[in-house]
Amino acid sequence: MHIPDGIIPAQVCAGGYALTGLTTWYVLRQIRRGPDPSEAVPKAALLAAAFFIGSSINIPVPPVSVHLVLNGLLGALLGWYAWPAILIGLFLQALLIGHGGLTTLGVNAVMMGLPALIARGIFQLRYPLGARLPLPWALGIAGFGAGALGIGLAALIFFGVIVFTIPSEFTLTTERNALLGLMVAHIPLMLIEGTFTTLLMLFLHRVKPELLKSQGG
Amino acid sequence: MATALHRELYIRTDSALHRWAVRPKLLSLLSLMFAVALIRHVVVVPVALLGVLVLYGFARLPLTYLWQRLTYPGLFILAMVSVLPWVSGETVLWQSGWLSLRLEGLALAGLVVGRFLAILITGFILLGTTPFLDILKALRSLGLPSLLTDMTLLTYRYLYDIAEQLATMQQAMGLRGYGYRRQTTRQRWRWLAALLGTLLLRSYERSQRVYRAMRLRGYGQVTAGLPSPDRLYRTSPTTLMATGCTLGFAASLVLIEILISHL
Repeated sequence: MHIPDGIIPAQVCAGGYALTGLTTWYVLRQIRRGPDPSEAVPKAALLAAAFFIGSSINIPVPPVSVHLVLNGLLGALLGWYAWPAILIGLFLQALLIGHGGLTTLGVNAVMMGLPALIARGIFQLRYPLGARLPLPWALGIAGFGAGALGIGLAALIFFGVIVFTIPSEFTLTTERNALLGLMVAHIPLMLIEGTFTTLLMLFLHRVKPELLKSQGG
Repeated sequence: MATALHRELYIRTDSALHRWAVRPKLLSLLSLMFAVALIRHVVVVPVALLGVLVLYGFARLPLTYLWQRLTYPGLFILAMVSVLPWVSGETVLWQSGWLSLRLEGLALAGLVVGRFLAILITGFILLGTTPFLDILKALRSLGLPSLLTDMTLLTYRYLYDIAEQLATMQQAMGLRGYGYRRQTTRQRWRWLAALLGTLLLRSYERSQRVYRAMRLRGYGQVTAGLPSPDRLYRTSPTTLMATGCTLGFAASLVLIEILISHL
């Protein structure tokens, strides 16, 4: 779910870069407020690499298989570092495999990164939830919300950008139908991503709970 | 993604574009990309493509380099725009039953594909003629925060290792019966969650070792100076000529666009 080069007008690309610059400034400020910002750099970088490689895993959803976006999971596990991780991942994907684009890097970063930051906030709900429910349940619910909303919000931004910037030749009805159809098609993907994030959180809780506690910023 | 990664990014050869100082090259090629993204009339697309291909020729990069990298994103963009000629526009060029080919949709598809190709080839020119580390150094010298460049370098450094690790783990999973043994979807998902979880875990543990090694080498203690500016922004006749021509071409594209818009 990346917008490639050449699809959207340059003005929108420039707007995407402006918003990305502003968000990067804010996120780096939050990161620098931590005790030792450089300590989490290798962790965030290696986990970012693992996420981008991991997103190539085929998840069977009979009769087809899908790839996960994992931006919600990134937000939940990396916290503020999810933003630079996504920005760098998109930059490398655009350079190395031509997926996404350099002119659309800003728009794609906003599309994938802002939902990841929101997912970070949703995953924090595991603490109040944990006071009322058993910890695995709280983790599962917060993980599901983070994973599902991560992709859901990204899809919403993606279709918003596409529909509001593409062809004037399309009628309003065509645009609305296309948007509605594609959004409905993403509901199962939200459930898949949410469920998979829950499974992964429960796995990490069993094997390495430390990874869920240290959110680096 | 793991299978689509290519190791040979930088092509070691001698060309004017290889000798072009990195910082002006980065800025000029990015300006050209944005000038192409500004194109709104399909008639300008061939001009942009021609200019970019001439630049590719000057870079002396092999055509196989372009072909290998274009296949994956090319198929993606074709899938995205292939519907346009059939649903967008009023002027029908050809019709068979409910299926009709429309002029405006065809022009729009041509515009999108043309812009996409021109921008992508420009990106490949940058990547093929500049070592990745030099691109990062140029970005750092342009004011990109060190946290971002450090993270980019580390992510890039371990990307291939982690891709190989995943391939090994998938092979091991296959040997234990995944994909061959009769399993419910739920069981498969649990296996895959464990696979991704283990990949994250190993990366996390490795990052702790990497950090300790980096600290021992002084990471975070001293501010490393920027590398020798020579390769980054040395002024030479080649650099001046290449920068001037590329920026001039980018400005011409914008000018043509403005002129056509006022016709």
